[in-house]
Amino acid sequence: MEGSVPGAVALNSWQLVLASSFVLLAGGISFALRLGLEKRLALASVRTVVQLLLAGLILRWVFQLEQLLPILAVILAMTAIAGHAAVQRSSRTFPGATRSAVITLVLSTWLTAALVTGAIIQVQPWYKPQYLVPLLGMILGNALTGISLSLDQILQTLVSKRDQVEMELAHGASRWEAARAPLSDAVRCGMIPIINSMMVVGLVSLPGMTTGQILAGEDPFRAVKYQIVVMFMIAAATSLGCVLISVLVYHRVFNARHQLLSELIIKRHN
Amino acid sequence: MVEPLLQLEKLAVAANGVPLLRDVSISLEAGERVALTGPSGCGKTTLLRAVAGLIDPVAGRVRLRGQTPGTLGWPAFRRRVILVAQRPVLLEGTVRQNLSHPFRYAATKAVFDESRALELMEQLLLEPSRMMQEALSLSEGQRQRICLLRALLVEPDVVLLDEPCSALDAAAAEAVDEVVLREARRRGLAALIVSHERESIIARCDHIIDLTPAREAV
Repeated sequence: MEGSVPGAVALNSWQLVLASSFVLLAGGISFALRLGLEKRLALASVRTVVQLLLAGLILRWVFQLEQLLPILAVILAMTAIAGHAAVQRSSRTFPGATRSAVITLVLSTWLTAALVTGAIIQVQPWYKPQYLVPLLGMILGNALTGISLSLDQILQTLVSKRDQVEMELAHGASRWEAARAPLSDAVRCGMIPIINSMMVVGLVSLPGMTTGQILAGEDPFRAVKYQIVVMFMIAAATSLGCVLISVLVYHRVFNARHQLLSELIIKRHN
Repeated sequence: MVEPLLQLEKLAVAANGVPLLRDVSISLEAGERVALTGPSGCGKTTLLRAVAGLIDPVAGRVRLRGQTPGTLGWPAFRRRVILVAQRPVLLEGTVRQNLSHPFRYAATKAVFDESRALELMEQLLLEPSRMMQEALSLSEGQRQRICLLRALLVEPDVVLLDEPCSALDAAAAEAVDEVVLREARRRGLAALIVSHERESIIARCDHIIDLTPAREAV
């Protein structure tokens, strides 16, 4: 098959069809145990196939791009989708939440990804899509989890501890002094998943990227070196993202008169 | 001419877009205690929140010795005009940690004076041993008094008290009244007190302002 890496076993369509029998097994279990998940499972399977095939086709096209501008357009689209997803996962929201999440992701993930491709892996040019796009995708996927957790936590705290925040404001606390504890909680909450996964990486399972590289014929030791870079990169982007989203929320829900605008925080109806 | 300590100028307030009170003008001098009464839901609490600057009034403004909160700086203004909400809000930690909490803020210039805190605790009928007790384990009435005490320790010019005796028995309510009066005499503390007419604290105020809307009062 064209473009395949030496050492990698290319899959043909029949092998993919064979793999789909695993889904039939899952469907069989759902049917036998009357879990009622058959329809959802069928939809999820079709989506998996369509989304991944589309992603493969788009990536094949993207990897041929050499100009910075179309690459920027692609990564902006990825970032906008991630920003939207981050906000959707939070149980509460506020006007301008998606915009804040996208700004956060642009500042935290783009900077990290560019540093990794340009300064650590030293790809020429730094925006070479074969490196930049998958790396950014990985950072976005992880950062959006962190950001949505931070977002959910800060909005939840400001609603549940509104009396406490206002009590502090009423005694002369500045908005920053009154918001500091909820902000720290939110950043901590968003960073816990990446710290947890750094603790067990390589022990419980190999991350997708390492597995993919090994399956594609790469030497495991070289593959894990990439993974180390990726883990640190994700940790950096996630921490930066959690801080940024919390600060943006803070600037939105506290005004210059040091008031908490709790009416801006609304519950999302899923 | 000396400006009044606290001046409410034609204040109008609303809650969730519903107009509650309008054209409320009140002047408070140092050492003065003014009671605000009126039926439930008429906007007394909202008015106090607007005076404290936790929400914006629909119209009118508040001045402290002629200066607006914007000129003074909002945290500095609120340090001098403290709102003590009806529902007592205490943080996790001991009573002492709660009482010393406001002294962390940049706007609070003074330092926490434990002996003064103990003195006021006694006056509010709270045993000194409560100082090291977990604040959240106190009863509602004890919490209410700790909240008043926390505000008084910062030595504000004005306290805005929202139903300060709602969870207190007669003796504790009397103690609260005495402490506010003593602070008024000692250092000119002024108080704007929202309460029901039946509360004894109202009877000893210098003025009582009825906020009952005109159409209901007839």
